[in-house]
Amino acid sequence: MIRILALALAALLCLSACTPKDGSPKIDDAWIREAPPGATVMAGYLRLHNPSRSTLRCDAVDGPDFGAAELHRSVVENGQSRMLPGQHIEAAPGTTAVLEPGGLHLMLFRPQRELRAGDETTLILRCGEISISASFRIDNRS
Amino acid sequence: MTATADSNKPAGTGLWLVIAGALALIAGILAAVYLSAPKTLTIQSGTLLQQPRALPEFSLIDQDGAAFTREQLLGHWTLIFPGFTYCPDVCPTTLAMLKNVESQLGPRAEQLRVAMFSIDPERDTPEQLKRYVSHFSPRFQGVTVAEPGLRSMAQTLGVAYIKVPGDTADSYTMDHSAALILINPRAELAGYFTTPLQAPALLADLKQIIDRTP
Repeated sequence: MIRILALALAALLCLSACTPKDGSPKIDDAWIREAPPGATVMAGYLRLHNPSRSTLRCDAVDGPDFGAAELHRSVVENGQSRMLPGQHIEAAPGTTAVLEPGGLHLMLFRPQRELRAGDETTLILRCGEISISASFRIDNRS
Repeated sequence: MTATADSNKPAGTGLWLVIAGALALIAGILAAVYLSAPKTLTIQSGTLLQQPRALPEFSLIDQDGAAFTREQLLGHWTLIFPGFTYCPDVCPTTLAMLKNVESQLGPRAEQLRVAMFSIDPERDTPEQLKRYVSHFSPRFQGVTVAEPGLRSMAQTLGVAYIKVPGDTADSYTMDHSAALILINPRAELAGYFTTPLQAPALLADLKQIIDRTP
């Protein structure tokens, strides 16, 4: 009986101590495609890791180098290429949301300065109570 | 017993003659079908038309403001990419991939031209198109034309497009056909490359197509 109680107690302790700590979300591989000179729109991509115990939902983005920013998704439906505005990024606990070309992306309007390959700029994702800032590298990868 | 055998013999020979005749007929039909069918080429990333379709005369404007007509399609393969420059995700991703494919084609690239066909002439002036396409490759062209020429050219190429209003008058976007259009050196519509486009498959297909050019 004592042994069972001890095991139960150990299990209870483990529940709090053994599960991952409520880590803070992290962004990596953040980049913006270098746009042709004079472009008024650019697209940004990233990986958002969510090690926390709650689902992360980000529905806004902004940065000092852009006039405005939104979340858009490119889709092909019945052979038609379309862009859907009003999207959000969602990462369940312990998962990574991936934004890559041809899908969900950050739509960045009116660059406030010339951004060329190799330059960096900061963008902030707004995820409810949490704001996650990351440095984005301008890149011309294919 | 003997009488039965004798009467069976001619009947058996007749049956064999019928079978042989039928086989010969089938072989003949198969040979005719095989010989009359055009030599088909199968590609991984799209569809080639069995019978390429001749394009009617048309008149577009290129990135230098010069006329771009059917004549500009003669003597080389052309890959037409419908898009618009106010498109930061799919269009630059596709052009970057086409640039990549172009450079891997090596000397074969001489036999291929790439033209972005803008379905947004309102914003895509020749100057804008030039800045845009030349960012990817100095060999890429950008062509468009005002309505109603645009609608008619799009129909010719099998391209659908529609304007989707945005928050402000100039922030609209365009839905458009995603497929790339292949034109042969006789200015005929030869086929389509469909999404999702992958550089290695597209490269292999284009090499095959260029190498099989008569």
